[in-house]
Amino acid sequence: MLKVKNVTKKFGELTAVNDLSFDVSKGQVFGIAGPNGAGKSTLYNLITGFYKFDGTIEFDGKNISGLPTHKIARLGISRTFQIPQIFESMTVQESVNLGCRFGNTGKYDPGYSDKMISFASLEKVRGNKTDQLNLLGKKRLMIAAAMATKPKILMVDEPMAGLNALEIKQMTSLIKRINQDVNITVIIIEHFMKVLTELANPILVIENGTEICIGSPKEITSNPEVIACYLGDSHDA
Amino acid sequence: MFIEIIEVIISGLLNGSVYALMAIGLALVYGVTKAFNFAYGSFYTMGGYFAWTLLVSLGVKGGYYTVFLTAIPFLFVVGFFLEKVLISPLRKRSDWQMKAMMLTLGLSLFLDIGYIATFGPRLKSLPDIVEGTIDIGPFAFMNQDIVIFILSITGLLCFAWVLNNTRVGMAVQAVAQNPIGAQIVGIPKDRVFAATFAISTIMVGIGGILLSQKNFVNPQASTGIMIKAWVITAFGGMGSIKGSLYAALIIGMLEAFVGYYLGMIHIEVAVLTLLLITLAFRPQGLMGRE
Repeated sequence: MLKVKNVTKKFGELTAVNDLSFDVSKGQVFGIAGPNGAGKSTLYNLITGFYKFDGTIEFDGKNISGLPTHKIARLGISRTFQIPQIFESMTVQESVNLGCRFGNTGKYDPGYSDKMISFASLEKVRGNKTDQLNLLGKKRLMIAAAMATKPKILMVDEPMAGLNALEIKQMTSLIKRINQDVNITVIIIEHFMKVLTELANPILVIENGTEICIGSPKEITSNPEVIACYLGDSHDA
Repeated sequence: MFIEIIEVIISGLLNGSVYALMAIGLALVYGVTKAFNFAYGSFYTMGGYFAWTLLVSLGVKGGYYTVFLTAIPFLFVVGFFLEKVLISPLRKRSDWQMKAMMLTLGLSLFLDIGYIATFGPRLKSLPDIVEGTIDIGPFAFMNQDIVIFILSITGLLCFAWVLNNTRVGMAVQAVAQNPIGAQIVGIPKDRVFAATFAISTIMVGIGGILLSQKNFVNPQASTGIMIKAWVITAFGGMGSIKGSLYAALIIGMLEAFVGYYLGMIHIEVAVLTLLLITLAFRPQGLMGRE
């Protein structure tokens, strides 16, 4: 479904992503892990068209390298950000409507917008301005707006960052439902290994923009190189 | 005394409505792109010359109806084209907003010199949009002022409608609030930037047509208009459309009162004093965000 082939991104002398290749299959929850500065978010920015790069990225057999972000979104790859990118003066409903209006099909379907608001459990705050939401609400909103574009792949970036234990449970459940109930392929960057190993399979671990290993949660957590560079001796992160 | 005050208020409303039409376009571009368009005043002059060419030089039928119907698509195409050709390539570079400001300053000088080269240095006069006066009770109004007021308010209402009820308007609001978020829901940011530039060109160009038939078409008018629009935008809050609307009405009113009671020569001093005091205590302007 998504093929990343020999992708490299340099910022001046710094190589943020170094000759990275991997495939994401339909229906997977594909995890990406790595220490801070490993190049995870840069990789997201390459897939979603924010930066130019060397190499090729194919989506559903089509080369999407070099396409602008809005075209990639309309083809069916949507994403969220670690810091919620909300429309501060709009209501929750208006923000989700944008996804319906400009997303995959480009046709406005208010019914689908309402469905996504319910899906993300935002019914009670649909009339609220987005800057009135708490962090979990803002993260739910980003997911609802992204889902409103009817994506085939949803890429979530550190969805658990800043959440408490109960909120992490709720967010984990939401991501599972996106994959299992709506059949959307999910790619997830997450530092919280317990959550990542619960949700994702396979998991790609990168450091300094280079692949360390890719495999099942069990393979990852027992890989000596991953333990040395990322998990540490007691890998309960 | 009471009648005089009412007349001054009406004069302030007339000024304010045209200022609002012109300054909101500048606020819109800044709000969406965070780049200041220094060529803005030159599009005001372009509106005036466009009307003069049609009405006086070519003598087209239909008078101002023809002028407005053709000016809107003309100004849209000019704004869209200039943004795509001159400004859009800059966005691939770092610190592009500063480069865009320098470029639009150069564009403004180019256009102003181009107007002199094409139309000559002398002022051009346009026929009145309507003639005569109307008496309502103790008040006498020039029909020309009433039409300018109605057309300015109509322009503002059309702008508000487009912004709140159309696909383009929604996209403009989304990009103004969060360009990254807008792109990931499928909004073409670059096209929205160009559309915004084009809409603002229409607004100031129409303002130019409305005021030039009262104040002449002047090839050197752009600097004064640019300063006025900037003062209103800075006073209202950079990028705030609502702030610019209030600022335009307040400055229009201030000009009318200062002009009546202290004399025309004190108008600019009063306006700039108000701006400096506001910015000293509230640097983000009336409704801008820090």
